[in-house]
Amino acid sequence: MIFARAGIAGTGIACALGRDPGQIMTDLARGRSGIGPLTRFPVSHEPALPVGQWPESADAADPPLTHQLARLAADQAMAGCPYPPDAIVLGVTTGGMAATEELLKCDCARREAYRYHGIGTVADDLARRFRCKGPVLTVSTACSSGGGAIALALAMVRSGRFRRVLTGGVDSLCRLTYYGFRSLQLIDPQGCRPLDKDRRGMSVAEGAGILLLEARSDPWDGIEILGAGLSCDAHHPAQPHPQGLGALAAMRRAVQDAGLEPQQIDYINLHGTGTPDNDRSEALAVKALFGKSPPPLSSIKGALGHSLAASGAIEAVVATHCIEHGWIPVNTGCRLPDPSLELMPVDQPVDRPVESVLSNSFGFGGNNAAIVIGRGRLARSTRPDLADGASMIPLTIMGWSAVTGAGFTDQTLENLFAGVHCRGCLDAASLCRGLPPAAIRRLKRLSQMALALWVQARDRIAGIGPKSVFFGTAWGSLSETNDFMQGLFASDEKFASPTDFIGSVHNAAGGQIALMAEATGANLTLSGGDTSFEQALFSAQLLATGDDPIVVAGAEETHARLSPLFDPSVAGTAEYADGGGMLILRRAADGAGPTVALKYFAAADLDSPLDRDLVTSLGGAGAVPARYGLILVGMPAAHRPHCQNQLDAFLEVTGYSGAVIDYRRLTGEFAASAAVAAVFAAAWVQARRIPFAAPEQSSRPCQNGNVLILGLGPVLSAIEVGLP
Amino acid sequence: MTEAMLLNELKVKVIDVLNLMDVKPEDIDPDEQLVGGRLGIDSIDVLELVIMMEKDYQLTIDNKELGAQVFGSLRSMAQFIQGNLKEAAN
Repeated sequence: MIFARAGIAGTGIACALGRDPGQIMTDLARGRSGIGPLTRFPVSHEPALPVGQWPESADAADPPLTHQLARLAADQAMAGCPYPPDAIVLGVTTGGMAATEELLKCDCARREAYRYHGIGTVADDLARRFRCKGPVLTVSTACSSGGGAIALALAMVRSGRFRRVLTGGVDSLCRLTYYGFRSLQLIDPQGCRPLDKDRRGMSVAEGAGILLLEARSDPWDGIEILGAGLSCDAHHPAQPHPQGLGALAAMRRAVQDAGLEPQQIDYINLHGTGTPDNDRSEALAVKALFGKSPPPLSSIKGALGHSLAASGAIEAVVATHCIEHGWIPVNTGCRLPDPSLELMPVDQPVDRPVESVLSNSFGFGGNNAAIVIGRGRLARSTRPDLADGASMIPLTIMGWSAVTGAGFTDQTLENLFAGVHCRGCLDAASLCRGLPPAAIRRLKRLSQMALALWVQARDRIAGIGPKSVFFGTAWGSLSETNDFMQGLFASDEKFASPTDFIGSVHNAAGGQIALMAEATGANLTLSGGDTSFEQALFSAQLLATGDDPIVVAGAEETHARLSPLFDPSVAGTAEYADGGGMLILRRAADGAGPTVALKYFAAADLDSPLDRDLVTSLGGAGAVPARYGLILVGMPAAHRPHCQNQLDAFLEVTGYSGAVIDYRRLTGEFAASAAVAAVFAAAWVQARRIPFAAPEQSSRPCQNGNVLILGLGPVLSAIEVGLP
Repeated sequence: MTEAMLLNELKVKVIDVLNLMDVKPEDIDPDEQLVGGRLGIDSIDVLELVIMMEKDYQLTIDNKELGAQVFGSLRSMAQFIQGNLKEAAN
């Protein structure tokens, strides 16, 4: 048996208490806080609210502070490792937002200035720094992003395909989150006081936590990620389930996944944001899983603040130190524990052996992640780290839906089969046709699009509802982001819309699908430029369990003001387009429908137009013409000349002479257009229908072949849609 | 402004601010419970109404207790506005 255990080979941290891990841990053990009034940017009100601000200079704008913090923590984690990581999985929610806000405020129209806006650029920056050629993924599930990223990284190590995965989370302070949480009245003017009877909210913070996971086989007694649990509340876009059901499900799954019993957990690192609702529902969940006398527990957010996507990762780093050195952090900030919570947080420095830690992260969208970190020697009832090849199997397609400028699924497919373009942006009234007014009154374009996809797909799979949702979007909710910032600046930073803030997170759309579908399983939103849909599919193949249907979708809204600034492929187009596609999948391979699998996903070789590994992953050059009857090729406008070279080289090496459809010419330029291509491929394979003779194709597609969706540009991807 | 006029103004504003697409002003009973009632209004909507009160009527509602009282119904909103206008006039 081969075990692929996720050993923690290195850790790094940057936070409100600085960058020296030894000093930070001493401070956390003793209850010293790094929280103080915000000074990073001027605010409209007096006094500035307390935050967990990075204590060093943040003046350099290139790259923005988020990227700098990630570098700092990653350098620490990689210090002892001479090899490049095989993959990077980072949790990010604001990315370059702080820099973008300054630019939007002065109406800067210079596209180059926005190059760090995309939240995927932080992980890309680390990939360049450490010469990582493998998959680079960004998880964006708001406050649980860091925990979600670690859960995904764990699954990658367990798959046996990745030896070293660099993972964690990072975020920096910006107006969006500061004024956003303020508009929700969720910032405690006295600083975060987790579990305190008078707690009034969080302290927004910044930082980075990075872990290098390294595959280990038995016997092994180091510290490792033992398990992870993901769940979705499917209750409210921003408020936790009042009984903590989502939190409980994530914690229970994490402990089970680790192969442990709850009584084997030595310390619970709470999400503990200090908001009245979070602490109440988390307390209920803890008591439901651990009974009346849970293990020692504390939140470190009273010391560091809530660094959003970074927090779960920072807490994993702290947990690693706790296990290594035998101590438990004080629940800083809490003076009088709330008696109604019936939990007594650690209030004095504790030195004692710690073998295992459960660490919680919960976020907007009801997206929850819990992870268990512990010693390899712990007695475990199950061994999910057995690399048995069960993950990354092709998934069976049960149904699909699409939205494009042409309309919904039927119109879109009709156009595509006829070789007629479906570019454009579907008008709002048509997009919302069939959606309940009450469900969409607070939603803007991307979330509306997500629901339009779900409602159509739902109609095609009668009965069984999905549990897990994997959503890919490069740019997220641009309407909400734009409207929030415009409203803020127009009122001299006096008024900020809480509704737009809640809707602005990248995972808002995925959370909305879960709400309507009542999907309480894993819910991850992935983001990374033109490969966001591929990332969602990759995550689904790694993380989906059981027989329940799985939603995998990709969608993008094109915003007239922001999209041309952010997406260089949109900037060059005369006609804006947006849309998305959704696949409903299951793990069972029973020949009941076409299958889909991500065969390849890695950085392109910059020195050569052709990457040999791509061809190898498809079974070698000779296999390509035999295996595929149609290639749908994605060539983003910003990289078109390079993509053309890549395509020419691929066709030459493989000898493939069948049909090739350059699908962005039909869908228009938007980052998640690969999702529409996937729907087209599924419909084609299912119907075995011969599509039109596209002008650029050299011959008609073969009726009895699989479809290859080839993503070209700086990142290469290959999705195979196979015959039933 | 009479209370009836103010109520009508508030109905339009509430529908607009909360984007209650399928609700007409005449559908709202001034005495019906706003939060958690038939209209599907929750605490996030209340925060939007807090901003509306500040922007349009220069009235600050900065604590939960006052908020619960003011946003009980459309009529309680109107009475709060009128009470403060009178105070300002005196």
